[in-house]
Amino acid sequence: MGVNLPRLVGARVVRREDPRLLTGQGSYVDDHRPARMLYAAFLRSPHAHAHIARIDTSAALALPGVAAVLLGEDIARAAKPVRAESKTPSVKTTSFPPLALGMVRHVGEAVAMVAAESRYLAEDAVERIVVDYEPLPVVRNTDEALDPASPVLHEEAGTNLLVAREFARGDVDTALAGAALVVRERFRFHRHTPVCMENRGCLADYATGTQTLTLRSSAQCPGLVRDILTDLLGMPEHQVRVVATDVGGGFGAKASLYPEEIATSVMARRLGRPVKWIGDRREDLLSTTHAWDETVEAELGVSRDGTIVGLRAQVTADIGAYSIYPWTAAIEPVQTISFLPGPYRMPTYRGRARGVATNKAPLGPYRGVGRPPAVFVIEGLMDRAARRLGIDPTEIRLRNFIRDEDFPYKSPSGIVWDKSSFTGSLVRAREALDYEATREAQARARTAGRWLGIGVASYVELTGIGSAIPVSPGMPVSTGTEAATIRFDPAGKVTAVFGVASHGQGLETTLAQIVADEVGVPIEDVRVLHGDTEVSPYGTGTYASRSLVLAGGAAILAGRAIREKMLLIAGHLLEADPADITVADGRYAVRGMPDRSVAVRQISRAAYSGVRQLPKGLEPGLEATKFYDPYYGTASNATHMAVVEVDRATCEVKTLRYVVVEDCGRMVNPLIVDGQVHGGVAQGIGAALLEEIVYDDHGQLLSGTLMDYVVPSACEIPPMEVHHLETPSPVTLGGFRGMGEGGTIGAPAAIANAIADALAPLGIEMAELPVSPERLFRLIGTRAEGKA
Amino acid sequence: MKPPKFEYHAPKTLEEAVAALGRYGGDAKVLAGGQSLMPLLNFRLARPAALIDLNRITSLAYIREQDGQVRFGAMTRQRTIEFSPVVAQRLPLLKEATRWVGHLPIRTRGTIGGSIAHADPSAEYPAVLAALEGEVVARGAKGDRVIRANDLFQTYLTTNLASDEILTEVRLPAMPAGAGYALEEFARRHGDFAIVGIAAVVVREGQRCTLARLATAGAGPVPVRLRAAEQILEAQGLGEAAIEAAARKATELVEPDADIHASADYRRHLTGVLTKRALVRAIGVARG
Amino acid sequence: MADIVTVRMTVNGVVHEGRCEPRKLLVDFIREDLGLTGTHVGCEHGICGACTIMFNGEAARSCIMLAVQADGAELVTVEGLMRDGKLHPLQEAFRDHHGLQCGFCTPGMLMTALDLLRTNPSPSEREIREGISAVLCRCTGYQGIVNAVRAAAPILASER
Repeated sequence: MGVNLPRLVGARVVRREDPRLLTGQGSYVDDHRPARMLYAAFLRSPHAHAHIARIDTSAALALPGVAAVLLGEDIARAAKPVRAESKTPSVKTTSFPPLALGMVRHVGEAVAMVAAESRYLAEDAVERIVVDYEPLPVVRNTDEALDPASPVLHEEAGTNLLVAREFARGDVDTALAGAALVVRERFRFHRHTPVCMENRGCLADYATGTQTLTLRSSAQCPGLVRDILTDLLGMPEHQVRVVATDVGGGFGAKASLYPEEIATSVMARRLGRPVKWIGDRREDLLSTTHAWDETVEAELGVSRDGTIVGLRAQVTADIGAYSIYPWTAAIEPVQTISFLPGPYRMPTYRGRARGVATNKAPLGPYRGVGRPPAVFVIEGLMDRAARRLGIDPTEIRLRNFIRDEDFPYKSPSGIVWDKSSFTGSLVRAREALDYEATREAQARARTAGRWLGIGVASYVELTGIGSAIPVSPGMPVSTGTEAATIRFDPAGKVTAVFGVASHGQGLETTLAQIVADEVGVPIEDVRVLHGDTEVSPYGTGTYASRSLVLAGGAAILAGRAIREKMLLIAGHLLEADPADITVADGRYAVRGMPDRSVAVRQISRAAYSGVRQLPKGLEPGLEATKFYDPYYGTASNATHMAVVEVDRATCEVKTLRYVVVEDCGRMVNPLIVDGQVHGGVAQGIGAALLEEIVYDDHGQLLSGTLMDYVVPSACEIPPMEVHHLETPSPVTLGGFRGMGEGGTIGAPAAIANAIADALAPLGIEMAELPVSPERLFRLIGTRAEGKA
Repeated sequence: MKPPKFEYHAPKTLEEAVAALGRYGGDAKVLAGGQSLMPLLNFRLARPAALIDLNRITSLAYIREQDGQVRFGAMTRQRTIEFSPVVAQRLPLLKEATRWVGHLPIRTRGTIGGSIAHADPSAEYPAVLAALEGEVVARGAKGDRVIRANDLFQTYLTTNLASDEILTEVRLPAMPAGAGYALEEFARRHGDFAIVGIAAVVVREGQRCTLARLATAGAGPVPVRLRAAEQILEAQGLGEAAIEAAARKATELVEPDADIHASADYRRHLTGVLTKRALVRAIGVARG
Repeated sequence: MADIVTVRMTVNGVVHEGRCEPRKLLVDFIREDLGLTGTHVGCEHGICGACTIMFNGEAARSCIMLAVQADGAELVTVEGLMRDGKLHPLQEAFRDHHGLQCGFCTPGMLMTALDLLRTNPSPSEREIREGISAVLCRCTGYQGIVNAVRAAAPILASER
């Protein structure tokens, strides 16, 4: 068939999304105001743990402009209970009521919902709702939660241990007992939260005439939300439409089904009027799912030359008050133990995960899910081993990486890594940093009394997963497939429709690049629609670094189908064999005879002009829908290197240089890949140095404003040097590997290791993140300059 | 996070403002730049019956030199101060401090009077007022009174302004020509409130110190004048040993509180570190 | 003193009049009463900068201002940046250098960068970072934004 010359895939194409976003013409949820719309506000629990004895809404209802107040019982009558199920028997299923039912289990939990003529009035009404709480003892952390004397948060579970899982290979106990060296550490990765710049929000509109519900939501997974919502509300799926409008950041925070989405839908249906809820920042910090809250006790056994003989780890995740839907509370700790072995040959392993409920906000997915703590642990252990053995930290990694000859390599959790560039990325990173020269500069700085450190972190992440690897076993919705519908109109323009949902990663551009290349048109002639279940072919959304692999793969399949048909039509129009036709720049031409050609629009017009313009037996029309399931998945990898300086007096950490060598397979748009790396690394640096969700002893959230939960500004982030390797995935269409989460996966570890390297002469290790100046001050103690 | 209802007044004259404030018997709040008060209203942490908005009183925004002082109308914007040639020449410490106040868009609206009346001990302007031994003018129903810096600040977010008084003017003595100055601040993030900040002024004659002034931000419920540390410099001069001694003394003079960003110990430690850094820089700038 | 106030302001060159409660925030008035939804609400406590607009020629945070305070003022919002239907050079630079991803902070970032460049037409990298540190972005890691502002600076400087 005709030759396909890649033109746009691989190019730094500026984004199609930008003109509207730059000019204030975006379409975020809060930008929509249908007629008769009401504004919602939630009463949220001021207690971390309490029975609700009585709720009196009469004063709220009496306020002019208030249309309705809903309580937990109202939702329970209108919707099935929200219960995140898992196939894993040791993962306990518990209910997550959208509005509290008789009990509150974390500060900020939604207790009542008001709909009123303005948000101002709705908040006035919320203040008039009277609730009699009977406070209960607060379960403050996982140790307390596992103490038999503590209250059990979910009676039906009978325990606060909601998740237990183990992966093992070989006899790690014997291996560690006989190892030349075992390094061990208790790592603490404190609680974080994604902080999307756009708060969560949704707008539900139930049209009584057509009995259809439309939910506009700041959501990553409209297809998933639609499937689940229809089940919960008992509505036919084809009468529920979920639209992810322009979404102001997701990072996993907007990947779950939230109480507010259910409650808003119920309210809208009840009132027959559109109802909009836009969360404010206080609500975001209180109730958007938190992340990465884990304690990991880990031991790495190595032989004299640093070769790993085994890894043993116990991961305890503080999963908060509820198991989120649909991923379950297992998602964070199980991903940690799945990926603790990292990119290393791991002869023996045992990783045990526990998910423990406490009176805090629920834990949910955040960029990296389980892997930021995992990489912090394994990369921290590798550095400890290197220091004890007197081996250079990059050298110890090179000795242990899964090598070319080892691929495909089955990890202890059963994931198979296909050919990746672990060694290549580290070698290139050393070059990019000029490692030897930087070590020499460090030595000179040390002599001058400065604490300079170099940190390395290498990782591999599972991406683009198909149906063989469920994100969460037993989830009601399959995450292994995406689809593409590509449709030409008679004038030769293309509409390409997908079920994924961009929230900053530029899928309208990258998917257009793929489609344009496949069917041979300029990118301006392709328009991508996505994130709207009304028009999208079946799909779930954008999460888990899957969109370019799955939707891109489907685009390739649909594009090929269309191109084959176009070649047949072109052959008919040019009276030539389709095998002799080449495609370039909007024209289909006979090879070697550029004058014998037709424009794409002539082909598309022919396709819609009836059978006489077409080869015999060919159906009119020019559109195709294809589904793609990569079945297993693929992997991306990278090596990060950070150079930091610790201020000897203030104990502040400054990041001086940051190098990333990443491999996401065949890149579609390097501009966007760079942007994803930059953004992820910035969040990772924030996680390592600045950000922490803090609760007090009464379960009150102390980090409840953006002054207290400190996300980095441009002054806290260094310029980044990003280099790319391109090892095409051997298993995915297009060779794409999926990326986006690597920055948060690698950066916390790289920063932690750099600080430990800076403080190595003092013998101080980094076992707790974030490394705030306060924390570092306490570790450095009297050795801090200026300490009395 | 929307404000609760309040009655709203935007008087055109100071007399109207004082009268309106008096009518509410302490249940009204003055709105100046709003950069501190509006967040409190949006969180519904402040619930005044009324707001008295001073932004229409144009006579309250001025910068004048008088009697060896630079006098600022309370409604003078921080942004104006940042770019004022008079401030650059007469009060370079204030100009430097201004660049630490939040970000430019905050300084567009924030005022010198509002910042000082709000009395957040982590803010830069109260520390400068203390270091330069400034004073403010307050007007109430009974007329004007002048309040010195060390009488003004009582505790967190609390001045000795009566509930019917409006801060109308801030007066800062012009700094001696050739004075050295520095504001050293440590914050989690550029533009945030100081975890600890030190405002320093030194006047030197060779290695002798004829005047030293040190005041803190973030090291207690009010800005602290580190008088005993100042005296060490005024007695021992500006050599390394004197600076170390002054910095050490500074740590003994503060009683910081703890919050989620920093413990009292760490704040105390930072007080010493930043005092030393501020002095080194101020001495470097001083002429004499 | 009344429950409802009348406010009259010029926004992007057009005079608008509206009525609202005194407590109505300026950002909400811009978005709801004027229908200009390009200015965004990110935090409502003056930290994130997404709500930044030009107020009488200077960048200011509209989430911590009252609509009534803008009576008689001249505002410029992101919708007012285009020139004759073409992107402003700063907007072009953001596009060329991938200075936005989700776009939510972008209007605030643009207005803040414009104010920065007016007060400091040739900023160093450090000065650019200090200037844009007024606006929080979670997507870009700031690199694309810094590159965009650096590229736009000489173009805007040459226009004066």
